[in-house]
Amino acid sequence: MTLLEISGLTLDLPNGKRLLHGIDLTVSVGETVALVGESGSGKSLTAQSVLGLLPSGAQTSGQVLVEGSDVLTMKPPELLAYRRSTAAMVFQDPRAGINPMRTIGDHLTEALRLGEGWSVARARERAIEVLAAVDMPRPHDHLRQYPHELSGGMLQRVMIAGALAGSPRLLVCDEPTTALDVTTQAQILRVLAEQRDKRSMGLLFITHDLNLAASLCDRVYVMNDGRVGEEGPARQVFLNPETAYARRLVAATPTITVQPNEVPAPAATAPGPAVLEVRDLTKTYRARGREPVHAAKNVTVDIRRGDALGVVGESGSGKSTLARMIVGLERADAGTIAIDGHTLKGQPRKRVDRLDRARRVQMVFQDPYLSLDPRMTASQAVEDALHLHHPRLRMADIRTQALTLLSSVGLATTQAEALPRTLSGGQRQRVAIARALAIEPSLLVMDEATSALDVSVQAQVLDVISEIRRERGLTILFISHDLAVVRRVCERSVVMRAGEIVESAPTIDLLTRPQHEYTRLLVDSVPRVMLVGGNT
Amino acid sequence: MIIRRVVGKLGSLTLTLVLASALIFFSRFMVPGDPVSFLLRGRQPSPEAIAAVTEQFGLNLPPWEQYLRWIGGMFQGDFGRSLQFRDEVSTVIGDRLPVTLGLVALAAVMILVTGIVAGTIAALNRGRLPDRLILTVLTALGAIPPFVGAIILIAVFAVQLNWFPAFGSGDGFFDTIHHLILPSVAMAISFIVLIGKITRMSMVEQLGREHVQVATSRGLKPLTVVRRHVFRNALGPIFTVSGLLIAGLLVSTAIVESAFGIAGVGSLLVQSVNRLDFPVVQAIVLLVVAAFVIVNAIVDLLQPLIDPRAAAGEAGR
Repeated sequence: MTLLEISGLTLDLPNGKRLLHGIDLTVSVGETVALVGESGSGKSLTAQSVLGLLPSGAQTSGQVLVEGSDVLTMKPPELLAYRRSTAAMVFQDPRAGINPMRTIGDHLTEALRLGEGWSVARARERAIEVLAAVDMPRPHDHLRQYPHELSGGMLQRVMIAGALAGSPRLLVCDEPTTALDVTTQAQILRVLAEQRDKRSMGLLFITHDLNLAASLCDRVYVMNDGRVGEEGPARQVFLNPETAYARRLVAATPTITVQPNEVPAPAATAPGPAVLEVRDLTKTYRARGREPVHAAKNVTVDIRRGDALGVVGESGSGKSTLARMIVGLERADAGTIAIDGHTLKGQPRKRVDRLDRARRVQMVFQDPYLSLDPRMTASQAVEDALHLHHPRLRMADIRTQALTLLSSVGLATTQAEALPRTLSGGQRQRVAIARALAIEPSLLVMDEATSALDVSVQAQVLDVISEIRRERGLTILFISHDLAVVRRVCERSVVMRAGEIVESAPTIDLLTRPQHEYTRLLVDSVPRVMLVGGNT
Repeated sequence: MIIRRVVGKLGSLTLTLVLASALIFFSRFMVPGDPVSFLLRGRQPSPEAIAAVTEQFGLNLPPWEQYLRWIGGMFQGDFGRSLQFRDEVSTVIGDRLPVTLGLVALAAVMILVTGIVAGTIAALNRGRLPDRLILTVLTALGAIPPFVGAIILIAVFAVQLNWFPAFGSGDGFFDTIHHLILPSVAMAISFIVLIGKITRMSMVEQLGREHVQVATSRGLKPLTVVRRHVFRNALGPIFTVSGLLIAGLLVSTAIVESAFGIAGVGSLLVQSVNRLDFPVVQAIVLLVVAAFVIVNAIVDLLQPLIDPRAAAGEAGR
């Protein structure tokens, strides 16, 4: 039985820009349908239109039928009642999506009390019931808690509980696990599947992650540029994509599935002397009135020249603190860091020390929107770094070098003259890489350098990195939460948890023969499609 | 947790007041003019008379001892003697304080009510005509200094329309309010823009938050969403700025009270500065500093009531 039927949905902004070009989509009762696409593909807009949440002034045509009534033409009171009892939405970031100034109980009960006119006691009973349904440990106590007292995974359960409170027939989930760690993601997906089956809801699941879509959903719609490009059973779309765009997307999606005949990629160059030697690095954050947080406990790491080492861990594992200590943004409590056999002491204070540290190690940060000066063009950003470290070079030479560097990361001269705001995320991250390479550091630290990028852009940036490694024999410390990405870049990896390295091995071995139970949990939590005849 | 916060606040509050009192007291030694010659003005003082007056007001002591006597006296409610009124400073100020407090309170209520209402309407209509209209009017009003506002208000509402008295502070509760309306409007007009703009900014920021969209997606009425999720969350900055506003209001009383012939602390300050009445000037300035510091300490302590994260020591977001 069809629950949701979108037909010919178009959406125009007041400025005349068309964002959706005739979407057709159906969800049946009890069915899970994925809407997959990259940023700007219109998948979130489509999801929001199901709840009647449209940008102000937007013009729509077509129909969004839910149980036979058209959401787009509902009168305001009908729309409110529809949102309270027929369809509900789970948003991406529970930290942002739940009012931080009100209690969990208030969040769960307000629509029932203020919208449906339920008594406080009755609404409270329902709140406890849905909290228990999403496996929250102490439903009674949580009602009094504020969002900042709960972890991200717990909060996402609260958000799901809030959506379930009105007993909806249709649940729309917009990237509900993207802000969460992989092990937490696995738990949330289990809760969603459980509740879908128990309540025989229809589930419309929006995600950028093809692996996730294919592992959870019955059918998949691939969206691109405001259109549905391809539609079909999840496995079929993933294994045998028909359209060119879907094929590209599948190819660009990193996976942790190891082919049986796959051998570890040899290092780009013959193993050289150790570039980075970290010994017993320890760092503890002590905040007044709270438990001390161990960001690093006796961390020991080596990287040889030309190697790339992956550091994998969930949020709070200490991987970013490790990177920041190596770069000199943070001071270690104990232990030593040596680069090229030269021991680095604490945080550099003097100008000479800072320049010296910068020549040894450079960092590429996660968010290229924040890490570039908005008023400097791409080539100025690179020239600036060159000028700082080679004050005697002539400006003309610096400029030539900057353009060469930018072209080596795949940016043309016209893009070199552009300000960051006119560049895409991937182009910006390439500028950040070129700027880091300008100084010719012994070690390049990349902290979640591709996490903010779309998969196809991420694939391009990863290609740039491996090309540069081949050409220059660059040594890389690659930090990521994503095992599949680390696997594309690094021959060896370490797994961190709560400031400790729990396992260190060739990346392929980590994926195929994890020794530590935590590594096994991480690998098992990554969603993937079961391949026929595959080894996982 | 709460007790530690209060104690910490009290400590920094005391330190601020001690530093301010020292600065206020010793700055008088840098001002030209000798209080003794003012006390004996219009006469041909004999050396004996000078010595007697100097002795009486303790002006012969070294400055730091005068300071300690001043501070010590204040703890016993003794702010010294006014040179112009030949009376206790506490009496002189005490007589004038109620009308000034009434004036500041009335102006503060006007500022908060109009500012928050205007800012809210602007935020909910952001980018459209009501928003632009409100911003333009508020900004224009903000450009009117209190003394100009006072003159215009007197000319229109007191002289032309004869709705309000132009002078004095009246007797009894309702008469006093009637007298204080024009002066407090004169004080309020230039500050409404501040609260209005802060309210608008803070609410526009909250309106863009994801939790507002979540609340909307759950079928709450638009007004309920604004009240429970936008306005409530926007209160923090409005609160903070309101506390800072107190300083501006207290300073404005000096001008407005003079313009409307109100015998309050503000006009007393102007008068005392003109007449080199140091004990009164020092006491008033210290009172203003104390009022400012205490109000802002209270605002800080009340923040956790608005934002539970402030209690947990988690700023931001």
